[in-house]
Amino acid sequence: MAEKISHLSHTLEPRRDAYGFALRPQHLQRYREYAKIYKEEEDERSEKWKNFLEQQADTSRNCWSERLHKERLPSGVSEHRDGTVSDRPAEGDDPSENKPSDGSTGSSPEREVHSTENLKSDKVPRWANVRPVLGAIENMMSFRIKKAKNVEDDLKGVNGAHLPTVDEVSHSGQTSEEDSEGDVELDEASNGSANSSNGERAVSEGMPLESSFPWREELECLVRGGVPKDLRGEVWQAFVGVRTRRIERYYQDLLAQEASDDEGKALDNSPAVPQKLKKQIEKDIPRTFPGHPALDENGRNSLRRLLIAYARHNPSVGYCQAMNFFAGLLLLLMPEENAFWALVGIIDDYFGGCYTEEMIESQVDQLVFEELMRERFPKLVNHLDFLGVQVAWISGPWFLSIFVNMLPWESVLRIWDVLLFEGNRVMLFRTALALMELYGPAIVTTKDAGDAITLLQSLAGSTFDSSQLVLTACMGFVAITEARLLKLREKHRPSILEVIEERSKKGRVWKDSKGLATKLYSFKHDTSSLVQETKSTERPEDVAADADTSHLENSSHLEDLLGGLAVDSEVDSLPDLQEQVVWLKVELCRLLEEKRSAILRAEELETALMEMVKQDNRLQLSARVEQLEQEVTELRQALADKKEQETAMLQVLMRVEQEQRVTEDARLSAEQDVAAQKYAVHVLQEKYEKAMISLAQMEKRAIMAESMLEATLQYETGQNKAHQAPGSAHNQSSVQETPTRRIGLFGLGWRDRSKGKPEESNESPQKEIGNRELEQQPK
Amino acid sequence: MGCSSSLPDRASGRLGGLNSENGAVNDAKNLRVKLVLLGDSGVGKSCIVLRFVRGQFDPTSKVTIGASFLSQTIALQDSTTVKFEIWDTAGQERYAALAPLYYRGAAVAVVVYDITSPESFQKAQYWVKELQKHGSPDMVMALVGNKADLQENREVTVQDGIDYAEKNGMFFIETSAKTADNINQLFEEIAKRLPRPTPS
Repeated sequence: MAEKISHLSHTLEPRRDAYGFALRPQHLQRYREYAKIYKEEEDERSEKWKNFLEQQADTSRNCWSERLHKERLPSGVSEHRDGTVSDRPAEGDDPSENKPSDGSTGSSPEREVHSTENLKSDKVPRWANVRPVLGAIENMMSFRIKKAKNVEDDLKGVNGAHLPTVDEVSHSGQTSEEDSEGDVELDEASNGSANSSNGERAVSEGMPLESSFPWREELECLVRGGVPKDLRGEVWQAFVGVRTRRIERYYQDLLAQEASDDEGKALDNSPAVPQKLKKQIEKDIPRTFPGHPALDENGRNSLRRLLIAYARHNPSVGYCQAMNFFAGLLLLLMPEENAFWALVGIIDDYFGGCYTEEMIESQVDQLVFEELMRERFPKLVNHLDFLGVQVAWISGPWFLSIFVNMLPWESVLRIWDVLLFEGNRVMLFRTALALMELYGPAIVTTKDAGDAITLLQSLAGSTFDSSQLVLTACMGFVAITEARLLKLREKHRPSILEVIEERSKKGRVWKDSKGLATKLYSFKHDTSSLVQETKSTERPEDVAADADTSHLENSSHLEDLLGGLAVDSEVDSLPDLQEQVVWLKVELCRLLEEKRSAILRAEELETALMEMVKQDNRLQLSARVEQLEQEVTELRQALADKKEQETAMLQVLMRVEQEQRVTEDARLSAEQDVAAQKYAVHVLQEKYEKAMISLAQMEKRAIMAESMLEATLQYETGQNKAHQAPGSAHNQSSVQETPTRRIGLFGLGWRDRSKGKPEESNESPQKEIGNRELEQQPK
Repeated sequence: MGCSSSLPDRASGRLGGLNSENGAVNDAKNLRVKLVLLGDSGVGKSCIVLRFVRGQFDPTSKVTIGASFLSQTIALQDSTTVKFEIWDTAGQERYAALAPLYYRGAAVAVVVYDITSPESFQKAQYWVKELQKHGSPDMVMALVGNKADLQENREVTVQDGIDYAEKNGMFFIETSAKTADNINQLFEEIAKRLPRPTPS
């Protein structure tokens, strides 16, 4: 499945991120913004890791060979001695062949082949070793687990319930047990006293690592910068120590036993997974990353097998909601059996006691976290108190889910990188504190509980800047260490155990975990109850004892408690002292109650003060609002006036414009008239010219006619003279005179008339134009 | 010009809002209630909340780890508003260890079962007893039979629900987050039953 993911990014619909997880619609935009940054960061860290691993490969070959060689030897011997050699002839045959850095991985192919041969019936469970380059990291981390196993073995003497099936599993199981024991002997000197007390153990834990792994710090830096995507699955396995934890065929046997139990024929006496848990697992499988492309039919089957195998492996935890998400996440990054061992490491070891029936450690962690919050962010916690919000309401789900589904995936994975590397729950606390630091200022501004929680939830849900978050967590809260947490847990565990005890005794009235009255009550009514209580605390501890840490914590805590109660156990012999103790305790309770009431009163007063301040602010605000309101009204008035003016201006402007338009129209029509008249003039001119031409012709004709007439007249006179004698010449001259005069009169009169006429017609159009122009002007 | 027209409106709106805030200091009109949902795993607690708050239904919803929070305000006919601060808790039995954290100080507890699962009805009765023992005495309790749309698979009769609710002084309703049946009614009925602060 791990391979599938690498191809996912190409086929994803936009609503899923690079890991195939669904994005909330409101985060799509932010995610897209950050996708580029993630890409850049990824490239950068791939480069860094590549360099680091290359460097590791070189150095490990040189300086690690000797030590590891020694380490491998006894295990090889023990295998021989154990008689399992016949099963695996290839392994451990020649210890000298086992080259240190790849000695174990060298034999891995055989192992794999071997296990698959054995498991032809159930073919799906798979196992794969991590790449040899990570061998050095694996080795470093395996120290941690070997130590844990050492302690675990001790525990078995006390509490045989753990790993019930290990002994029946096979020889290989024993081998591996002995294997680890053999290894542990070597560094017994450094941690010989480790299981005597917590504090010492916590201190000694770091020692062999620091001294013998000089590059640990460099690795830590790299881890804080994030593990590259394609290495993550294997690096996580190296961190959790999957290979060291692994007992061959253990996983397959768990499943086989479960299967045969289902068929009704119990193979051994190990308890089957209760039906209730199976039902719960069945309910939760489809509700684990619903719609994730990798969780198809096969993926879900793997998830089911993994959870059932774990439930059988550790009955004190069985199955707890939240593990479905962890198992699902691990399955996305590694083969099924590897995921199983990783889950075993995380739940049994890192989160021992957290997911058991009573969830004791989870509850203790919440009290510890609240104390740290009060220490680090007193103002924020005060504000939350004022709103009536308990820190654990919000941090509880964060811790229980290890931030899965609470933060964007990139951030979740970065936190897991660090958490798995460190091998404890410190990173949980640091991250939660970092979130509070980042979002505290915003939370302080909220006015009611609902708003505060909603805001914090949504802010946390959009913490896309994973680098900022991880760095704030790791750099800003260096003081939060495992040793510190162990101490705080010890301090708070009793109150949780007490509540559980109270609840299991049904007759009692259940009170607030911090209720002093309850303590007083139980103390007054039977003094021995405290002793009883401490006895009963052993029971849940035994349940939680699968995790060595919690057991050790508990045992020393028990010692403390018993030490504190020594007075009570001696009570019977010393009645005076008893009375005194009773009196003192009552007094103490009284004082504590007084203190509590004083604190409450102070809180009340503070609340009242805040209320008053608020009221005051409100009055000021309303005054200011009134003032602003007045200003607004004034401004509005001014605006209205301005608007009126504007409208008036506009009206004037429009009128002017209209007039202009009218004038323009008039001008245009006038121009048209002018053009028409000019045309008329032109026409008239032409007519005039034609008339003139015809007149000239007529004149010519008239002249011709006149000359013809004269000629005719002259001819007639000449004829008359010739016909008549001189007598008659006298008559003729009088006759001749008369027509000449008539013609002359006629001709002149006609000529005059025709001359005057064109002059008149020339004048009149000009007059007309003049008239029109005059007309136009008033317009 | 468009700007000038909207300006007076906004100013007056703000003024109105401020007035009402000043005027309605009496909390009888604006209630804030902490509500916690309890019940067996997978009965649909988260779905009821999601339906009520967002009006959505997702048949493939996620497992709730620890608890999740949502809030929603409703207005009643008598012009009071009720803001529900809803804690939706994890269903698995062992998470009961953390439940007191959430039901402590809650004014309303809604105990949900699945009408197709008698086991979940048993679990609901466990929760009712738990609340009677450890919850605050004036808590309003509602018994809700969810998945009412699955009539053909019904295994808990309506009468059983009514009887048990009556015996324990609870309000009873059957709902379906899938079809949204009775979801709003559930919260409205709860709101009506809330003790009102007496205006003094």
